[in-house]
Amino acid sequence: MDSHLVDVNISKSFGKMDVLRDIKFDVKLNEFLVIVGPTGCGKTTLANILSGIETSTVGSVTMRGEKINPHKHNISLVFQEPSCIPWYTMLQDVTSGLCIKGVDSKTADARGREVIKLVGLEGYEDFFPRQISGGMKQRVAIARAYATNPDLLIMDEPFGHLDAQTRYLMQIEIMRIWEQEKKTVVFITNNIEEAVYLASRILVLTKLPATIKAEYPITFPRPRELTDPAFLELRAEITTQCEIVE
Amino acid sequence: MEGRKEQLKSVFYNLLSIAVAAVFWSLFSAWQQSPFFPSIAQIWKAFIGLITVGDIEGIGLFSHIWASLIRIFAGFAAACVLGIPLGLAMGLWPKLYKRTRAIIEPIRFIPPIAWIPMAIVMLVGFSRYAFLIWLGAFFPIFITTLLSVTRVNPLHVNVVKVFGAKRSYIIRKIVIPSVLPDIATGMRVGLGIAWMCIVAAEMIGGEMVGIGRLILKYAELIRMGEIIVGMLIIGVIGFIMNEIFIIIEARIFRWRSEVSID
Repeated sequence: MDSHLVDVNISKSFGKMDVLRDIKFDVKLNEFLVIVGPTGCGKTTLANILSGIETSTVGSVTMRGEKINPHKHNISLVFQEPSCIPWYTMLQDVTSGLCIKGVDSKTADARGREVIKLVGLEGYEDFFPRQISGGMKQRVAIARAYATNPDLLIMDEPFGHLDAQTRYLMQIEIMRIWEQEKKTVVFITNNIEEAVYLASRILVLTKLPATIKAEYPITFPRPRELTDPAFLELRAEITTQCEIVE
Repeated sequence: MEGRKEQLKSVFYNLLSIAVAAVFWSLFSAWQQSPFFPSIAQIWKAFIGLITVGDIEGIGLFSHIWASLIRIFAGFAAACVLGIPLGLAMGLWPKLYKRTRAIIEPIRFIPPIAWIPMAIVMLVGFSRYAFLIWLGAFFPIFITTLLSVTRVNPLHVNVVKVFGAKRSYIIRKIVIPSVLPDIATGMRVGLGIAWMCIVAAEMIGGEMVGIGRLILKYAELIRMGEIIVGMLIIGVIGFIMNEIFIIIEARIFRWRSEVSID
């Protein structure tokens, strides 16, 4: 099988504080891997290490056998915080990754408009971040991450700052986009319902120092029904897993 | 954005506050009846006299203004040319600053006026003006530039880092745009201080022309009308420059949100 894309085997500590301990898992091609964990368990650190902008203390992240490196690999990261660049128009922001990777501006603009359309923001190409809503900004961040057609798309609690309604719409949206343009996604969240709704596989992290506690392949057909008994049962099980005090 | 009506209102209230200030001054001067506190009519007469006849040496008001403007621009431009790149460099390579701050910081606290004797023995002519004005304008520009670099949002840097951006790209596309508004603020403060230094600078320049010189000349004669004209002119020119600055800033930094504290 060619299904193997990323291998992770890392530990991370800040000074004396262990944040991630022996985190070992792999990411398969085109899967939607969701990592859930309680708040403050080092999920953002994990996302930053996966994307190569932060380094692990021990071990490494490899993609197709090669150590992860933003200069070489095509990775995108959707940040938890609103991350639009204030002095970029939406189109400039969405195409920034393409420009960095040396794509000519005409091709970049065309692709930029395409992904802006994909996330439903056409008509706002020349708007600055201050002129659009929080939900729209997060879509811009997602469009920016998609524009480069990444081999690995990491999403770090991308909907954490959104209100419940927008969040729900964004989940449907991200599922639609994922089914349309198959991508390998690592999605990090503390919302278990969101995890079960989106994932093809779930990894559960413990509290600090985070280790992997459980793994659940999710085989429910899509689109998933939030009120389906099997869905609710699994959601309850993972919830207990997440909150058990050791 | 302010509506047109709101703009007219603020113009009206500004004019009103000028009028109120003028009334207070008139009352005060009428009450004092002293040559030290001339009436508005006397100040106006001094102003017209300075334009039509010139000062006691026959130098017209516009020659004074022009001379001072050139000196301000020279000192201020030197402060920008040195302060901005140096601030950027020290912000980007903090070690540069950490290892030299023992020399930089104390100099910052020496008032430009204290430099006068040093300027007299070290420099001649135009360079004296430029030096003193430079001293005043340099530090606000330098320090705000330096500090603004440390306040660049790391998240914005990470956004482009994930895509493999090189350091040069990060500096050009993230650091510089993010610090420009702060640099503009530093320049605005620097320009204000440059004007504050003009009298000190023209005290030692040696030439008889310049707004600061004008004030000093009439100070010796204790002719308050002309002195007040000189003071007001410095204030008004500074005000106009500041307004121009603000308009340019608003144009350049369209991406910034308009903050209102109403």
